[in-house]
Amino acid sequence: MSGNEERTFIAIKPDGVQRGLVGEIIKRFEQKGFKLVAMKLIQADEDLLRQHYSDLKDRPFFPGLVSYMSAGPVVAMVWEGFNVIKTGRVMLGETNPIDSKPGTIRGDFCVQVGRNIIHGSDSVESANTEINLWFKPDEICDYTKCQESWINS
Amino acid sequence: MNMMAVRFGLRVHAARAVTRNPSRALGIGAARSLSSDSDFSGVNERTLVAVKPDGVQRRLIGEVIKRFEQRGFRLVGLKMLQAPDKLLAQHYVSLQKKPFYSSLLYYMTSGPIVAMVWEGHNVVKTSRMMVGDTDPAAAAPGTIRGDFSVHISRNVVHASDSVEGAQREISLWFHRSELVDWEGCDHKNIYHL
Repeated sequence: MSGNEERTFIAIKPDGVQRGLVGEIIKRFEQKGFKLVAMKLIQADEDLLRQHYSDLKDRPFFPGLVSYMSAGPVVAMVWEGFNVIKTGRVMLGETNPIDSKPGTIRGDFCVQVGRNIIHGSDSVESANTEINLWFKPDEICDYTKCQESWINS
Repeated sequence: MNMMAVRFGLRVHAARAVTRNPSRALGIGAARSLSSDSDFSGVNERTLVAVKPDGVQRRLIGEVIKRFEQRGFRLVGLKMLQAPDKLLAQHYVSLQKKPFYSSLLYYMTSGPIVAMVWEGHNVVKTSRMMVGDTDPAAAAPGTIRGDFSVHISRNVVHASDSVEGAQREISLWFHRSELVDWEGCDHKNIYHL
């Protein structure tokens, strides 16, 4: 993926679902101009989460992280658009909400790092890995947005 | 300004009408809930709500979800899909003889749909009220169609029209494994039964 068709994996964590923030978060990505190409509500099991967070498996907070992420349903999504990986991270704000600016998702809605509402892929490689882990190919929709030529030149 | 005044007036009128509803004001609804098992089981009532291709194209998915979340309903199923003809033919089986049928199927396959299952007390009836009249010209301001659609051919959302219809539609659009049971932390602040 490159240019306008870059894709990222975004997941609203159990705290975001419990707090009724699913619509708000989706609205921000829609309004920014990104295209939603896949989405589902899923109760992620520990095996899936261990694979997703495999790069953190030796960290002391790892068991708590897996426990938190399996405490309730997650809304998993794939968003597409120009520079969506980097821009998605900017929209989310810093991992620690104390450092997250107002106007970002974590800056507006989070207080503590252990309940930071949302995950976004941090690189092209991790985005591809995460998308393939969470979605089957037939769960990804291919379509043209009618505003495409007014969002990208 | 005139349009704003008219719109605002309509909203105020609607709000006043709601507060004037005697059964609501007297808490009769709540009393009925306290004494009726069927009303309690109604907390688990489910409905299918779908954002149609026009709503997806027009960036209304988040707005629709936000309204149901804020109302207090629980999201138990959610997915985005390009609906196959066969699924839509089954979904719209009762409209097969209508003159607009083929145009409807064309529209519903023109792009992806976001299908959702929402759960809560009287959710079928309530979601129909939240969505508004099928014809947007008759849909009240404050409803999804009243606020976001103009013509009946592109009316943004579908909501099941009966409890039986909802059960049938949910089975059509979702496998059991795709529905998630979970306890919302707000439950005790949305219901007192």
